[in-house]
Amino acid sequence: MPKLNALLVASFGLILTALPSLAHHSFAAEYDGKELVTLTGAITKVEWTNPHMYFYIDVKDSSGNVQNWAIEGYPPNTLKRTGFSKSDLRIGDTVTVTAYRAKDSTNRVAGREVTFPDGSKKFAGPAAGGPPASPAAPYAR
Amino acid sequence: MRTHLAAAAALALFAATSGLAQSSSNSIKRTASGKPDLNGVWQSGGVSLYGEPGIAKPPPPPVNPAPKREPLPYQPWAATKSKTFTPLDDPTLRCLLPGVPRITSMPMPFEIVQTPTQIVITYESFHAFRIIPINDKLEHPDDLVPTWMGDSVARWEGDTLVVDVTGFNDKTWLSGTGSFHSDQLHVVERFQLNRDDTITYTATVTDPKVLSKPWVTGAVLRRPPNTRVEEYECIENNQDIPHMEKAESKGK
Repeated sequence: MPKLNALLVASFGLILTALPSLAHHSFAAEYDGKELVTLTGAITKVEWTNPHMYFYIDVKDSSGNVQNWAIEGYPPNTLKRTGFSKSDLRIGDTVTVTAYRAKDSTNRVAGREVTFPDGSKKFAGPAAGGPPASPAAPYAR
Repeated sequence: MRTHLAAAAALALFAATSGLAQSSSNSIKRTASGKPDLNGVWQSGGVSLYGEPGIAKPPPPPVNPAPKREPLPYQPWAATKSKTFTPLDDPTLRCLLPGVPRITSMPMPFEIVQTPTQIVITYESFHAFRIIPINDKLEHPDDLVPTWMGDSVARWEGDTLVVDVTGFNDKTWLSGTGSFHSDQLHVVERFQLNRDDTITYTATVTDPKVLSKPWVTGAVLRRPPNTRVEEYECIENNQDIPHMEKAESKGK
């Protein structure tokens, strides 16, 4: 694991009884719902695409080295409907993101809350371990 | 034979249930022809319908809840096979059509367009659509080739729209990880408009090759606010598969 002292890494001892639905793939098969990290950096790229939105930020580690991180979020239509618009993500803006790390240990996370330069906050993706957004989705066996 | 009897019993139960509910749904919206008006945009769940879990105020409980979902009643061999699948095997991970009834559970809207002769459902998820002729005998075409979404025909039974779906391939899942089925899948869906402007959706699933009895699932459909069905080109930037493969190989 790279030195990421710039990150506040916190583990949650939650028992994951219900995992969020990303509509298109299993959250738990790709991301670790117990490893919530906080990343701060400038936005370098935005992919307002399906099946998921991605944006990328440059994060400095403790040695001053810059690493680019990919943040995955809801599909664009879901973001738009929940009040998160494409124009909220401006190249060069410094944002802080809470997110769940990828299980493959790459610089890739499932985004949760984004704090924008003006201090406002929006959710980019679901909370791990929280209740599903409805009793009907996803159908659990 | 047992399967057929059980299926008949399940259907009779639902006919009775829907009959009871009909008597209390006098104030539902109706079309010019007098049928319940299912037109509009609907959704079964997801953050864009219900808001953030734990933050948004939940809607009032539906007047006609969906049946409690039971585990899939697999035959023993099928239960064993089901456990061999992982999330990487999920057809929707590759942006393939989810089949019926799973598509109803996707957290995206769909629109029902209703005429006296056909029902059309256009789903945002995976660009799926269903053109469903009204056909009182529920007769399917005799030239069906197995497909992902199957062939749907419908009729009105009182105020309930009943959709009969067959002609499936064996490539979709019914619900969660490993919920496979065979090409003998047969789904009977019921759409019942309620006086609180919800739809109670139930699907009775039979599959004599893999299930030991019918499986009933369902959802309450609600109208998502200020929502129209939009484009969802799933294959555009589908990055998840290699990362899931790497995660799985790490055994984390």
